[in-house]
Amino acid sequence: MNGMRFAFLCREKPSPTGKKVAIIGAGPAGLSAAGYLVCHGHEVHVYDKLPEPGGLMLFGIPEFRIPIYRVREGYKELENVFEVKFYPNTKISFGDEKEEGDDFIKNVIDFNELVQNYDAVLISTGTWKSSIPNIEGVELKGVYPALGYLFRIKSAKLGHLSWDEVVPLEGKRVIVIGAGHTAVDAAMESLLLGAEKVYMSYRRTIKEAPAGAYEINLLQKRGVKWLELTVPVRIIGENGEVRAIELQKCKLSEPDESGRRKPIPIEGSNFQIDVDYVIFAVGQKPTPPKGADIAIDKWGNIIVDARHMTSMEGVFAAGDVVTGPSKVGRAVLDGLLAAESMHRWLMEVRK
Amino acid sequence: MRRILHVDYSLCIGCETCQGVCDFLHHGKPNIKIYYTMSGLPIPINCRHCEKAPCMEICPVGAIYKDYDGAVIIDPQKCIGCFMCLAVCPFGVPSFDVKVRAITKCDMCVDRRRLGMEPACKEMCPAEAIFFGKPEEVEERVRQRTAEKIARERISTESFESFGKML
Repeated sequence: MNGMRFAFLCREKPSPTGKKVAIIGAGPAGLSAAGYLVCHGHEVHVYDKLPEPGGLMLFGIPEFRIPIYRVREGYKELENVFEVKFYPNTKISFGDEKEEGDDFIKNVIDFNELVQNYDAVLISTGTWKSSIPNIEGVELKGVYPALGYLFRIKSAKLGHLSWDEVVPLEGKRVIVIGAGHTAVDAAMESLLLGAEKVYMSYRRTIKEAPAGAYEINLLQKRGVKWLELTVPVRIIGENGEVRAIELQKCKLSEPDESGRRKPIPIEGSNFQIDVDYVIFAVGQKPTPPKGADIAIDKWGNIIVDARHMTSMEGVFAAGDVVTGPSKVGRAVLDGLLAAESMHRWLMEVRK
Repeated sequence: MRRILHVDYSLCIGCETCQGVCDFLHHGKPNIKIYYTMSGLPIPINCRHCEKAPCMEICPVGAIYKDYDGAVIIDPQKCIGCFMCLAVCPFGVPSFDVKVRAITKCDMCVDRRRLGMEPACKEMCPAEAIFFGKPEEVEERVRQRTAEKIARERISTESFESFGKML
């Protein structure tokens, strides 16, 4: 067996407690929490908007980083051995605003209805809303948020989408804006899928790149043109499609109080590059269930107390939807800690 | 039966899952931790349970021993906290625990192994960069993974003919 063992705390299902828990979001936080809870005898149902559990581990992060079998065999063990019930293609509560990964939704369940039907609920829905800067031309065909871009490529690899529905890359010129892990992955997948030229634009230098200089250097060795100290000013279209991008050079300010050096655009340094696609990898925002009456902070993250409980009694939250975009491991730990707290609450408070 | 816990640095993606589960099991004091180099490369550091463990040889009070799987274990009752093990460890692993007033480190999840389970970091690593088992089993699996990686490298450096789809 080569899957992730989300229920690593036990070998087999213990005797049941009779408690029923719903988890919204089957990413690293949700699946780790599910693993903890089944090892403590609770019945666990997991809801997810995607066609299969795994979250970003399966639908965002490329296969050359996380092998597909690792995640698939992992959730299958939860399903087959620990009797976790998965409800794929299901979104909890629905707002008008679209997020990445909404393509596969078949069922919608009201959040309050779900809360009524379970002894406790965990929200681990992550950060699926992409930030796109408000510049001229972002509405053009050929402009994509990096997560949505990677999501479609992975969906095709996983067999949920036909390759005809994936952005064709052979012979295309791509520019990725940003220098985090998502930007690096978008650039790498573009290369692997046959892009003719890949550019990366970042407003600071390689030294500040969140993905680290090592990853950026690796991409440069593979032929990616690294354009540091540049910001996109506008995207130029032709017949509604991207034709080129206009970038402006910048320089870094002296460090401010926080030690960060701000990029300052240089007047008259604008230049254009001919590209077919513009991919924005400049951040993700939290996506808690829409319409749920729970407190969020000014960035949209769910507010939790020391018990990982939200402002609604019996509703807990964990992972990126609480912390903002982080790492698989931090979501796993947060999911485990929240589940531990849920278990305590279920056994003590809700006898 | 000799069993090894092997962390493969070339397969590690720096996701910190090993650290997260170890942190959870050890209440905020993980025995495996990711360190980032100057170039931003993530390197997980933990005890490698050496065959000829320098810490065991140097320990003046004989507090370090090997269990039935070959895991290098420190007895907190015997440990005098002199840090000689840290001085000779090639990986800088031994760590002083103020609560138990002794050096602690990874024990290859001894409690879990007693129950027939495997080290938690290995169980949960999404990248399958951590291996556990008999040396020959681990080696076979590592080579299999390496073969996949070599194939991928070779294909992606060839002319771009949409090979990415095959991967």
